[in-house]
Amino acid sequence: MTIIFLKNIGRFVFLVLLQVLILNNIQLSGYINPYFYIYFILLLPFETPRWLLLLSSFILGIAIDAFTNSFGLNAAACVLLAFIRPFVINAISTGTEFMIGHSPSLRNQGMKWFAYYAIILVLVHHFALFFLEIFRLTEFFHTLLRVILSSIFTLFLVFIAEYLSFARDK
Amino acid sequence: MHYLLYFLRKHYFYFLFLALEVLSLVLLFNYNAYQSSAVADVSNGFAGSVMNFSSGVSQYFSLARVNRILAEDNSRLHSNRPEAFYKADTNTFFRGDTLYRLEYKYISAKVISNSTNKRNNFLMLNKGWRNGIQNHMGVIIGQRIVGQVVSVSEHFCWVMSVLNKDSRISGKFKKNDQLVNVEWAGGNYRKGDVKEIPKHVAIRKGDLIITSGNSDIFPEGLEIGTISDFTIAQDENFNYASITFSTDFNSLSYVEVVIDMMHQEKEMLQNSFKSNTPN
Repeated sequence: MTIIFLKNIGRFVFLVLLQVLILNNIQLSGYINPYFYIYFILLLPFETPRWLLLLSSFILGIAIDAFTNSFGLNAAACVLLAFIRPFVINAISTGTEFMIGHSPSLRNQGMKWFAYYAIILVLVHHFALFFLEIFRLTEFFHTLLRVILSSIFTLFLVFIAEYLSFARDK
Repeated sequence: MHYLLYFLRKHYFYFLFLALEVLSLVLLFNYNAYQSSAVADVSNGFAGSVMNFSSGVSQYFSLARVNRILAEDNSRLHSNRPEAFYKADTNTFFRGDTLYRLEYKYISAKVISNSTNKRNNFLMLNKGWRNGIQNHMGVIIGQRIVGQVVSVSEHFCWVMSVLNKDSRISGKFKKNDQLVNVEWAGGNYRKGDVKEIPKHVAIRKGDLIITSGNSDIFPEGLEIGTISDFTIAQDENFNYASITFSTDFNSLSYVEVVIDMMHQEKEMLQNSFKSNTPN
């Protein structure tokens, strides 16, 4: 239990630093920014208490916001992501996938399950994030394009990370 | 009462979600970038020291370009020294002369965090109120504009880049002093929009837009960019153009903060005018 807890704290710190020091500096043609830090929320164990899910996501968002001077922006998107996570898991699961003490992963839940899971959550998060940042509808399609391209980039990183941990565990 | 508690406990997940979401949105829309609060001081201080470390590493990669910019600046300054002028008559003026007073002072600062890929971009500099930085001061690089200080802590400050939804630069055509506004519509960080060009002004590609000096933020005559494309609107009173920024916002490492020595006097004059005008 303690090990899972410490592992997640370590992952939290690592992903925040990776995001603000490296990924925030990446930009391709002004459209694409990966927001890979939400991998932390995706990987929280299944039986995480719901209040802890919301609260840790909020703190994660605020931590990212502190580095980009956008207080509340990432926090709002992360809390929304944490809120819909249990519903998404319920909707796409047949009930046999869960194991106590495990996190959602490509290896345990299979490609199809994990792809649904990651795609829905990443899209919701990016959609909320980009539209809250703009907060107007005049640039709707332009922003939608950014949401989609950035989501693809983030998902690409998520799947690479999954395959890396796959290879390491084997 | 008992039932209420039961109800709250049963649905606590929804209430906690609403509470955190509302808190985030209140932060997002009420966080006043123009006020340096205690929160800003603490978080800027922490984020600043991490960013400072990171930029300490990455600045080595831009040394060649920084050197070139400094050399350009040096040569410009050398050509302004009294020795560089041929004395046509004996009337030379010095800084101590009552005809000249120092209006602008410049503080060099290192950029420790920067972005160009968001809709609202900010830079963090390694100078704060300890170094005399205050809100609303302009930030430039060489003879080109960068942005405006919006939040100051003890050792750091946040600068709202020109690449921001709330940024509006008062500029003018260099060739005929016609006033325009320059904004950024998102997307490509090299291109901006020029709004409200009066119908009678003839626009050509390559026209230089410079700061007007009307806004108290930038001195007059700094480069904003050159016209790259324009449309002649049929039904409206103004034409629109797009502009290529002179500043490369993606490669800033050292910038200068402009301190307007006469800012107080200008503000006082403006306030006295406002309070004397009956509405």
